[in-house]
Amino acid sequence: MKILDITGAILTLIGSIFIFLGALGVLRMPDVYNRIQTGTKASTLGTMLTLTGIGMIHPGWFGKIAILIIFIAITNPVSSHVLARAAHFINIPLTSKTVVDKLRESKIEEMENALKLEEEQKNDF
Amino acid sequence: MIFNLLAILLGISTIVFALVAIYTKKLIFAILATGGVSLFASILYLLMAAPDVALTEAAIGSGLTTLIFLFILNKIKEEDV
Amino acid sequence: MYKKLLVFATIFILAGIFLKLYQNFDGSKTLNKTASYYAKNGASEVGSTNIVTAIVVTYRGFDTLGEVTILFVAAAIIGFFLKTNAKGTNRIRNLRFSSEIMITASKILMPIMFLIGAYVFVNGHLSPGGGFQGGAIIASGVAFFLLANPTLSVNHKVLSVLESTSGLIFVLLGIAGLIYGGGFLDNRVLPLGKFGTLFSAGIIPLVYSFIGLKVGAELSNIISSLQQIQKEE
Repeated sequence: MKILDITGAILTLIGSIFIFLGALGVLRMPDVYNRIQTGTKASTLGTMLTLTGIGMIHPGWFGKIAILIIFIAITNPVSSHVLARAAHFINIPLTSKTVVDKLRESKIEEMENALKLEEEQKNDF
Repeated sequence: MIFNLLAILLGISTIVFALVAIYTKKLIFAILATGGVSLFASILYLLMAAPDVALTEAAIGSGLTTLIFLFILNKIKEEDV
Repeated sequence: MYKKLLVFATIFILAGIFLKLYQNFDGSKTLNKTASYYAKNGASEVGSTNIVTAIVVTYRGFDTLGEVTILFVAAAIIGFFLKTNAKGTNRIRNLRFSSEIMITASKILMPIMFLIGAYVFVNGHLSPGGGFQGGAIIASGVAFFLLANPTLSVNHKVLSVLESTSGLIFVLLGIAGLIYGGGFLDNRVLPLGKFGTLFSAGIIPLVYSFIGLKVGAELSNIISSLQQIQKEE
């Protein structure tokens, strides 16, 4: 009983540290995409750890908390992915330190393919 | 004591969001701020032991209304520009 | 200039009025007559664990019927205006396709959201929540699915049939209370059952389930007609 309480408290503390680091990352990161990534990753792990800690302190709630953790594990990454994708599509600039941008490459490739297809169709006629 | 502090903080943030919703020039910020007002108000309801009202406010005020406003904003943007 | 002065004057007058109210305010320490009646007799008369549900569905059931009607009228008006606006334009806009991740997640999450909505309105007499909240959760599930698949078209006829059938059953249950119980929407048509279990509190779970279905269908209807005008230009 006592050990469970202490473990739960430590887990909750670690989780809140992660959430704090996520908030710090949102403040410090250079552009939208990095901010989204920091906020999501850190807060997902932090929320999961905090919930697990609460579940250890109150063992009766563990079923509900397991469902909550699964739900967060699905929804949080998906929502951040969709946000970042939408930001990229309305041309929010990346930071100047960017090394690689796969989504732009694939977009350019798609556009080239479409142009090629059009030209081929023109040549056919 | 801590309850009062939390309630005051939530109330102040609700007012700030409402002011942002009124005075901002961009419509999308206004819509998001309206959603924020609903969110903080729902937490406040939860603190004041009214979970039914809190659930309604969170689901309708902060979820559905924001979504419908965004749909409409997208529509009028197309026609305006 | 005058306008600003007027605004400040109004704010000061309002502040004075509210300050007076605030100074004289001390929260009511005792329940008033109606509230104490509900608190004392609610559990034994209605058999619902959640006293708010007992009041909303049984004691003030007629008001709930009015609220449902308001929502129905709003949905009907929105549908009417959007339909007349969207006529004549058949050109479909080039909407951006959602990514694979979003589509897969929507397929996984939509049933879960429906399940949560159904849980909220079936357990309306046991836990916080009820028909309106559950319906809103279901409608947000539909909205999420439509966001993931923007070119999908929803069958409005099915939604309308579902909505009107649930509304009809809601009114019929109320009339059954009038005939077999003590008044409109009296819940003692079915046995009250054991206090605090799922099958208790007479017809409250049934009534709330139908309200939930009705509200969910109405809000989904609104959202899908909004999505329709997004597709058409």
